[in-house]
Amino acid sequence: MTLSLHIPRLETPRLILRAPDPADFEPLCAFLTDPTRAWGFGVEKDRPTAWRWFAANIGHWALRGYGYFTIEMKETGAPCGISGIWEPEGWPEPEVGWVVFDGYEGKGIAYEAATRARDWAYTDLGLTTLTSNIVPGNLRSVALAERMGATYERTYHNPNMGEDMLYRHPGPSALGLDTDNDGSPEAYA
Amino acid sequence: MSLPASVPVIETEDLILRGYREQDFEAFARFAASDRARFVGGPRARYDSWRSFMAGIGHWSLRGYGMWMLEHRETSEAAGRVGVIYNDGWHEPELGWHIYDGFEGRGYAYQACRAARRHAAEHLGMNSIMSYIAPANTRSVRLAERLGCWHERDVELLGTPCQIWRHPSEQVSA
Repeated sequence: MTLSLHIPRLETPRLILRAPDPADFEPLCAFLTDPTRAWGFGVEKDRPTAWRWFAANIGHWALRGYGYFTIEMKETGAPCGISGIWEPEGWPEPEVGWVVFDGYEGKGIAYEAATRARDWAYTDLGLTTLTSNIVPGNLRSVALAERMGATYERTYHNPNMGEDMLYRHPGPSALGLDTDNDGSPEAYA
Repeated sequence: MSLPASVPVIETEDLILRGYREQDFEAFARFAASDRARFVGGPRARYDSWRSFMAGIGHWSLRGYGMWMLEHRETSEAAGRVGVIYNDGWHEPELGWHIYDGFEGRGYAYQACRAARRHAAEHLGMNSIMSYIAPANTRSVRLAERLGCWHERDVELLGTPCQIWRHPSEQVSA
């Protein structure tokens, strides 16, 4: 097996989900090293460890065929967060994750991006179920997961985050993303 | 962004220097969890090892070079890693080596370092590269000396005291 990197480019009305670019590191680093913002995602203690996370995400794409996209605002081209599918060693199952950078909150960006990433995972990767892992007390993420139709399933111990709540998303059929009788995925807007 | 498909393969007498494969992870994690990793950021928990393994792959994509996995020709086992590391926080690109348990004392690190050093000089424009060595890592000091390196200066790497050893230039054909 040879590792390769195929990161698609997805669109929503306002956003582009695309491969990480070296220029995305600065805003991502600002987020990851800010404990007041990254506590629900995983805080990095300094710039070098944040860079390792940035590199690890690319390695995750190579190993798993999925990972975190950079979310870019169509209007300005600015990176405004990350969203994607994540399943490092020790994770219970693949999860949909999202992060919105400082100044981009409260605009529905995470919802728009995470919904698109979830559709892609069902339609293109062929995943049949998805979860989101949420640290207890992260009410904003709980609200978003619920807005996406996910429901609380159980609490478990995550190797990176400790006590963690597992939310279960609706599957592809519930979202109308079933495959046709001919086996090819339904087109969707 | 393009990557690991493009990791060059280099063959030496006993080793194949190649890109990472998922099945290399167990050997990688065993080394990282062992006391032998104490000079290279370990020992690490399994989750941290996986993250480090992923970052090693991403390094190739971000920098265009990185550490190779060393495949032992005779057994096809992963024998260690050697290559050029330039993580954020490094003073300059470094030639690094990790040899896994059971593959020490056979000159493999020397063999792989010579091949990687030549590759760095010929293809990456990095001649007279350096290696970081923890002062207490006497085995690595001996290898550095055998590779013709000299102790250039003392620095801090991510807050830890460390020595920079400078390699001699490789003769690069024009």
